[in-house]
Amino acid sequence: MTGSINRPPQMLEALTHHPPGRPRRPGPRGLQRKTLASWLFLLLGIAYFALPLVGTLIFSLRAKPMLSAWTDMINDPQVWSTLGYSFAIGVVTITVSIVLLVPTAFWVRLRLPRLRPVVEFVTLLPFVVPPIVLVFGLITTFSQPPLPLTGTNFGSDVLLVCAYVILSLPYMYRAVDAGLRTIDIQTLTEACQSLGAGWATILWRVILPNLRVSILSGAFLTLAIVVGEFTIANFLARPMFATYLQQISGNLAYQPAAVALMSFGITWGAMGVIALVGRGNQGRIEIGGAH
Amino acid sequence: MVTTPDARGAPSARRGHRRVPWTFLGVVPFFVFATMFLVIPTSYLVVGSFRDQAGNFTVQNYLDLSRPLTANAYTTSIEISLVTAILGGILGFLLAYAVIAGGLPMPIRTGIMTFSGVASNFAGVPLALAFIFTIGRTGFVTVILKTVLGVDVYGAGFTIYSKLGLEIVYLYFQLPLMVLIIAPAIDGLKKEWREASENAGASTFQYWRFIALPVLMPSLMGSMILLFGNAFGAQATAFALTGGFINLVTILIGGQLSGDVLGNQNLGYALAMGMVAIMAVTILAYSWLARRAERWQR
Amino acid sequence: MASSGTDLTSLIAAAKAEGGLTTIALPRSWCGYGALLDGFTAKYGIPINNLNPDGSSQQELDAITANKGNKGPAAPDVIDVGLSYGPKAVSEGLLAPYKVSTWADIPDSAKDASGYWYGDYYGVMSFEVNTSVVTNVPQDWSDLLTQGKNTVALAGDPTQSSQAVMAVWAAALASGGSVDNAQPGLDFFKKLNDAGIFVPVIGKTATVASGETPIRIAWTYNALADKDSLAGNPPITVVVPKTGRLGGMYIQAISAYAPHPNAAKLWMEYLYSNEGQLGWMNGYCSPIRYDAMLKANSIPADVAAKLPDTSGALLPTLDQITAATNTITTGWATSVGITVK
Repeated sequence: MTGSINRPPQMLEALTHHPPGRPRRPGPRGLQRKTLASWLFLLLGIAYFALPLVGTLIFSLRAKPMLSAWTDMINDPQVWSTLGYSFAIGVVTITVSIVLLVPTAFWVRLRLPRLRPVVEFVTLLPFVVPPIVLVFGLITTFSQPPLPLTGTNFGSDVLLVCAYVILSLPYMYRAVDAGLRTIDIQTLTEACQSLGAGWATILWRVILPNLRVSILSGAFLTLAIVVGEFTIANFLARPMFATYLQQISGNLAYQPAAVALMSFGITWGAMGVIALVGRGNQGRIEIGGAH
Repeated sequence: MVTTPDARGAPSARRGHRRVPWTFLGVVPFFVFATMFLVIPTSYLVVGSFRDQAGNFTVQNYLDLSRPLTANAYTTSIEISLVTAILGGILGFLLAYAVIAGGLPMPIRTGIMTFSGVASNFAGVPLALAFIFTIGRTGFVTVILKTVLGVDVYGAGFTIYSKLGLEIVYLYFQLPLMVLIIAPAIDGLKKEWREASENAGASTFQYWRFIALPVLMPSLMGSMILLFGNAFGAQATAFALTGGFINLVTILIGGQLSGDVLGNQNLGYALAMGMVAIMAVTILAYSWLARRAERWQR
Repeated sequence: MASSGTDLTSLIAAAKAEGGLTTIALPRSWCGYGALLDGFTAKYGIPINNLNPDGSSQQELDAITANKGNKGPAAPDVIDVGLSYGPKAVSEGLLAPYKVSTWADIPDSAKDASGYWYGDYYGVMSFEVNTSVVTNVPQDWSDLLTQGKNTVALAGDPTQSSQAVMAVWAAALASGGSVDNAQPGLDFFKKLNDAGIFVPVIGKTATVASGETPIRIAWTYNALADKDSLAGNPPITVVVPKTGRLGGMYIQAISAYAPHPNAAKLWMEYLYSNEGQLGWMNGYCSPIRYDAMLKANSIPADVAAKLPDTSGALLPTLDQITAATNTITTGWATSVGITVK
């Protein structure tokens, strides 16, 4: 039989205890009802999310001539160059974040469960540290030896990526942790070790593929943060999208609305690409006779 | 059942005194990174909160936290964060369940997941404006409701410039965040359990009560903590929508730290430290609850 | 402390050698800064890196402090802040003194005697009105009280934004207060709020255009810049109220840790030359050398016509600003019922 970690004892009780009355089988009606409820809820959700976007669209079309807010933005080369720059920084941030957090979350779950509240507290700190305090703290710390990063563009980029990894800590860690809960890492690790695998192999070839959904979630969130973040990019003087947006907004009314929708759509598209790329192998590693 | 791996990896949990240094090595990179890029910059926050504007040591900033305005700001912030965390948590969970395990086609799931990614960070001035254009006094939905359906929401007392309005706007990024974070957990709900429970004659309610919810509870709570923190730390959206009319801690902090009007930065630091303390308490409460919930899994 | 005078050519050479200038918190649409930034680069070939265009004065000082050891592009060379931030920056040791060649034209009350900071321009509180929504255009502060519900908004939060503080103060001047008594301004906004006329949101160009905040109280130069950029879609009228004219002055200064000190000095020379002052006028701001230039007939008629009529505007002193700001920031919450949920 399978290990007991992911099977709550109540379920064993449910398997053996028959409630009075006719046992109900899942008929086609039940499935239909469930799917109908799902569709209904989905439509409500879509309505809630779409309406504000529609409102913004309507407003952006009030410009005269009607599409000028859009054409102004689409024809501005800096909109695209800063967007590209933000995406590049985003990809680097996601990679660093994964490399840093997956082993950490794995190790804490596996060997150091008592350290979990400490790690979780650290990952939730970025919520309560005002970004302006964080960026000025970073600039002050890293303007001087031993690590004067702010003096060069590359150094500032490094600092930017590290700052964004910090900002995405809560989301990435929580997503990875939720994913780790669903797999039996204890058994998997022991099985791999008994086959002679080292930690790197375990993480890269066994744990990571099982965390596909988590990592995708975390990647989406991180990308969105990097593209939308303003304060840190601003003070580190890097040509990021949100700062350029702010610069051109000034006293414009319709163009910022158009570009907000543009960036929404483009980021959504980029995430679609990430989702497709990450689709890969759908299989999950199961242990024992789970069927 | 516990095997002892080769000496290259960390020793098993059954070894003796040499375990401690090696085991902690696994989390060293994380803590070094966090120290360099989070703790050290934040230390200015801690130090500054104990200073007055002349640079001398004082606890006056912390004493000032109990003034009615700041105390009220904390309770309002906590209230709004709790409401949106719970509501966003429940609704987000339902939406995630609907698209992952609710019988809907796969492209819809991908669409909602990716959309949630973008929407979770759609905040600040663009979000506030989007809602103003939609359900503000001159928003298109308000206007349609009035002209087509004869329903005057603003006449009935609703206004977007209220706590309720702020909560509605906050849900726009809280809900998608929940969807994304709970997705792996829902994905991990093996459908064999559902089939087995139905074969055993359990009703849907019993399935949820005895199997699905206990399994999901730690993830649900962890996600709601995240939502709480997310709302608690939100500043740009609140400021853009309320302009300081709703008393929130993050807005007070912004005023002290970066206003155009001479403020007291040290008070701002103390306010932020207050937020850190509240997050710490929240995590302790969550850890305790999570440990209780996880007992059912062992 | 240097005064340039005949050293202008050597200053230009030194500035060019530095290869760049970093400014901060200069929105392109504020007082015509866009044209000034471009003009400087075109004239001297020095590229400008403009940080944090929407930054607040406090952020500018913080940027100098945080970047003390940094000679990179994130460290600002020059700042443009509210009047009250001048003495604060001096006390924190953040500024380097410099007296431009036209120093004598700047009124004594508008500059620091040692040359640490110097006034640059001022504007007056005005009403920015979306005339496609508002038919009864207010001409004075008292007219605001007769407007329809949910029409009037401020351009900021009076506990954080000096533009909003000045708005409340200007209302005080028109309602029986004075430069030394800002309390009537708080009472005025309480009346406005109780009557439901006040909209509790920060008014922006977009909210004026959408009709959500059809009357916005803002600086003349911001309101006029909005009018230009919206270009009649929707039509905007900018009214300088008959009474309660309060001028808000900003100041320029050079950072003591500037990575490009000579470029910074050249920038100051540029701003305080006729070209720079006219640039501010094109942005609807009243430049600090206005009176001197008027006497010397240096102002073209078309540029002079652009400036709105701000006669009778009071320019408060530093002490008055501190006192009024204190009254308004502490009294705002109770006046408009923020703490009362």
